[in-house]
Amino acid sequence: MAETTVTIHLNQQQKDLLDRTVAAGVAPDRIALIRLALRRYGELHAEKG
Amino acid sequence: MRTLIEEFVLEPGTGKALELRKGQILRLEQIEGGQCLDFNCFNLDDYKEFFHCGRTRTLHGIHPTRGDFLWSAPPRERAMMYILADTAGANDVMFPRCSANLYESVYGYDAHTNCQDIQAEAQREYGLTPDDVHDSFNLFMCTGVDENGRTYITRQVSKPGDHVELLALMDVLAVPNICGADVMRTSNFAIRPAKVQIFAASDEDFAAVPPLRSWRTQRTVADFKVKAIRTERKLARDPDYRPEFVNTPIDYEAIEIALDAEELALLGRLARREQYGDRDGEALRDIVFSWWEETRPIG
Repeated sequence: MAETTVTIHLNQQQKDLLDRTVAAGVAPDRIALIRLALRRYGELHAEKG
Repeated sequence: MRTLIEEFVLEPGTGKALELRKGQILRLEQIEGGQCLDFNCFNLDDYKEFFHCGRTRTLHGIHPTRGDFLWSAPPRERAMMYILADTAGANDVMFPRCSANLYESVYGYDAHTNCQDIQAEAQREYGLTPDDVHDSFNLFMCTGVDENGRTYITRQVSKPGDHVELLALMDVLAVPNICGADVMRTSNFAIRPAKVQIFAASDEDFAAVPPLRSWRTQRTVADFKVKAIRTERKLARDPDYRPEFVNTPIDYEAIEIALDAEELALLGRLARREQYGDRDGEALRDIVFSWWEETRPIG
């Protein structure tokens, strides 16, 4: 499947929160967590854009 | 079974500083009904820790009631008292205390009962100054916010026997006062006495308090770089000062995220374009941290 690259800028505090979330087992790595967050947020807000 | 320790009537125009030990209850009761009371609260062992309307407002809203806590100001942020009972359900943490200046500037009084001066006079018994009076927890005060975002005060709803009970979760100096406002609707244009009681809490009272978690960031003086309380009023720069702000400098790293077509479409649907325009990276960052805030995937 074709992929498109989006560049996200994160500071050290934001990376720290994501990395601790990864360490807790929510996702295998930071990139996977960001993609997971996007999908889960889409599920949470399925009815609105 | 509760044990009554002290009981008295707080007379109009007055307040009283009361030492409450952890596990004691302050009960403030309407006698005639319709009377607002202002309330200050200090850590008895360190007066620089005191009740904070902002912290309390953030956690419990603008009308704290039964089941809510009274929190101290940052950087302490500890539960000082717990609201065991509130029969009128009309308390406020938006409005400031009334002051002598209010009654001069609006009503032309040379002198008029006011919560700032009543609190200051009551707190003077413990060596506190008028500057130590803090934003008050306003008991039996009906307030709201209108459609334009402006705060307002309405007339009293409390009846004789209505009461608020505050359980001390630490040793505190608790300072209730009868609100001095008799020319505004706060207390239906009157000043009336209120009944004050102090009890030793029962096992049932303690059982009503939800468990509290302790946090490393509930700081004490031991955490402060400057531990001494200033005695000089005039401020002067410390020539040895070197800034030590936390986590600075803030550095941003560009991270590339490969999104498949489905994810890209999802981003297109969820992106707050009115906020971020075509800046997909900022829109994605908003989504990621909004998801985190909403779901709190880790505690």
